Amino acid sequence: MIARPVLSGLYASCPHGSRSKLKYPRFNRCLQTVQQCRHKSTPSKPLSANEVKDLLSTPTWSVSSLIEQQHDDTPAETITQKQLHHLLRLSALPLPETPQEEAKMIETLQSQLHFVRAVRNVNTTGIKPLYAIRDETEESMQAMRFGLKDLKEELDKEEIVGFARRIRKKSGTATAQEEETVDVLKLAPNKIGRYVVVNTKKT
Amino acid sequence: MRHTTAVVNRIARIVYSSPACIRRHQSTLPFRKQLKDEAKLRKAQRGLINDKNPENDSGEDWELTVGLEIHAQLNSERKLFSSALTSITNELNSHTGLFDLSIPGSQPLLQKTVLLPALRAAIALNCEIQLESRFDRKHYFYHDQPAGYQITQYYAPLAKNGHVVLTQEDGIAPEDYPEVRVGIKQVQLEQDTAKTIQQPPDDVLLDFNRVGHPLIEIITLPHIHSPQTASACVRKLQDILESVNAVATGMELGGLRADANLSVQQRNTVGECSYSGVLGLGQRTEIKNLSSFKAVEDAIIAERNRQIQTLEQGGKIEGETRGWTLGSTETKKLRGKEGEVDYRYLPDPDIPPLLLSGELIEHLKHTLPALPDQQTSYLISSFDITMKDAKTLVSLDRGLRLDYLAEVFDILAKLGHDSYKLGRTASNWTLHELGGLLSTHSVPFEANPVSARALAEIISNLQNEQINGSGAKTLLSLVFAGTERNIDQLIVEHNLKSRNFEADEYRTIASQLLEQYPKMAQEIRNGKTGKLQWFVGQIMRASQGKMDAKTATDTLIELLGI
Repeated sequence: MIARPVLSGLYASCPHGSRSKLKYPRFNRCLQTVQQCRHKSTPSKPLSANEVKDLLSTPTWSVSSLIEQQHDDTPAETITQKQLHHLLRLSALPLPETPQEEAKMIETLQSQLHFVRAVRNVNTTGIKPLYAIRDETEESMQAMRFGLKDLKEELDKEEIVGFARRIRKKSGTATAQEEETVDVLKLAPNKIGRYVVVNTKKT
Repeated sequence: MRHTTAVVNRIARIVYSSPACIRRHQSTLPFRKQLKDEAKLRKAQRGLINDKNPENDSGEDWELTVGLEIHAQLNSERKLFSSALTSITNELNSHTGLFDLSIPGSQPLLQKTVLLPALRAAIALNCEIQLESRFDRKHYFYHDQPAGYQITQYYAPLAKNGHVVLTQEDGIAPEDYPEVRVGIKQVQLEQDTAKTIQQPPDDVLLDFNRVGHPLIEIITLPHIHSPQTASACVRKLQDILESVNAVATGMELGGLRADANLSVQQRNTVGECSYSGVLGLGQRTEIKNLSSFKAVEDAIIAERNRQIQTLEQGGKIEGETRGWTLGSTETKKLRGKEGEVDYRYLPDPDIPPLLLSGELIEHLKHTLPALPDQQTSYLISSFDITMKDAKTLVSLDRGLRLDYLAEVFDILAKLGHDSYKLGRTASNWTLHELGGLLSTHSVPFEANPVSARALAEIISNLQNEQINGSGAKTLLSLVFAGTERNIDQLIVEHNLKSRNFEADEYRTIASQLLEQYPKMAQEIRNGKTGKLQWFVGQIMRASQGKMDAKTATDTLIELLGI
């Protein structure tokens, strides 16, 4: 979710899922190959070592197809100085010092957005978003699930008292075990007493 | 409302003292003026008129809509994503984990100890617990947040679709009687930030103990329509959270903070804004960081008045974030739309989804403590205690007073009494008699020297007419002051045992006194019935407090012939 105001402009020119606007035929072909491969669970017969060597000898696709700009007409949207500064402020990065630096930043940003546009053009209707790459097998999910036995230790530290069945920590349960802490005062460059001091003046 | 009477009086004075009005009063009041005056009085009762300009009568009625966001610090041993211990009163900067300080290379690890208070809170608020929820990053830079983002649950919260019911006894506004059902959109887990102290001109002092402390954020739906009800809602939520041990401290100690979102809408018109399925609302503003129940009510009143004034003058409400300081009369703008922060919410890739088993949820539901409403209904139905006293008992001394009373009831039952019949008596003695002694001598309830058995025996003797009212109070004072003796011994020692006097004995003493003080007797016969009490007092003194005051009074009345 980078730079929402910028990308909303992109959406106007490249509606999500519309492949007809793709200007990257090689990428398109690669996508088709990938989709075909998905349907093939096993190859009809294994390839020989030489066939494999041939297959891998020439690339069928290069990421440079996504950042080649000379084949394109004017980019869908020019990034303004205001937008660049807004993004830099959000990321707590310093503003460019010379106009050349700024122009280079804008050029880099625009080619990055070019790439993102291409990725966004892929049709993802009906596909659940991927949040992280992790083991999502049934067993793994079961192992991650917090059940009653996982909280037994915590529940045992409690007792139920009184008329309203209030929950209270049992007296005498040691709590100070295995606390991983770091001495922040040793790390702080400025301090007063046991407080860490930070100067908030805008530079 | 506090200033209602003052406002109404002021309006009444203005309305009824203007020359035109006095003139008209000599004939009949024109119907149009009558209607206007009535509308003004109605408005004043709802506090909708700006104190400074009570004649500000636009003729329109405004409806207020409020939604609340409450942040509560969970009663958890450890922080949300680090094993550092949580601390409320510890030494500054003494419990800070690697991940809390965002030391490069540190990773988050969910501490399962936070799940118990969080889930109990969500269950107590009637929410649907999501067996799968996820964590997201909310990005913004501030010196109290080392990571540059807060971990929260924006897209998939822990619990959804709850509600809390507020009744007349919870202190809602009269126009909301008999009850209001406030929907809860969601309950989500999130991290707290460091504590800061401003050191002018540019410095801040930071205590990082609080960074990463687990919070839950409770977001209500905009179902509240009055400032008083909003304040009552915050109080109720705090009571519920305390009753299930989800929070360790309340608003007074900073354990609970509230933000209010409110908008106004002219009655019988429909606004263009909406929130979570509630349509027809006006543009809302947000008031952040309200830290007391009174602040919630006052800030909402001030902001509502500001919005109404702006709209009546033809202005527009901007979607702003505003602040409130104690003692102000108007909210202050903190951030406008142009300063609106882009939080760039994104799912945190370092944290796996939070998966819970139904079995755990069921167990917590079954072992959930009694909620405040359940406790008060039980007290009312089983012991005939008044609603007011029941509510006091439930919230006093973190439930210890109630446990004490329950013990008293137990012992009384063993002594053969009917708890229902003695309910009010026992609760009066526990709350008012014992309570009075505790507060007079500044003794906290935890140090109460009167055992439940002692109090039960006092009440039992009183009920059995072994002692009378004043004897019982004496006994209580003796036990409170500290004694080795038990109640029976004390009764004997201090000669408190009452004896039933014959009617003749009353007449004898009464007539003796009336003979001794004939002038007073005559004054009473002439109408100064107040002096009767003095005679009663004398009879009580003569009988060492053992005679029954009512019988004495009746006897005196009989003898005086009045």
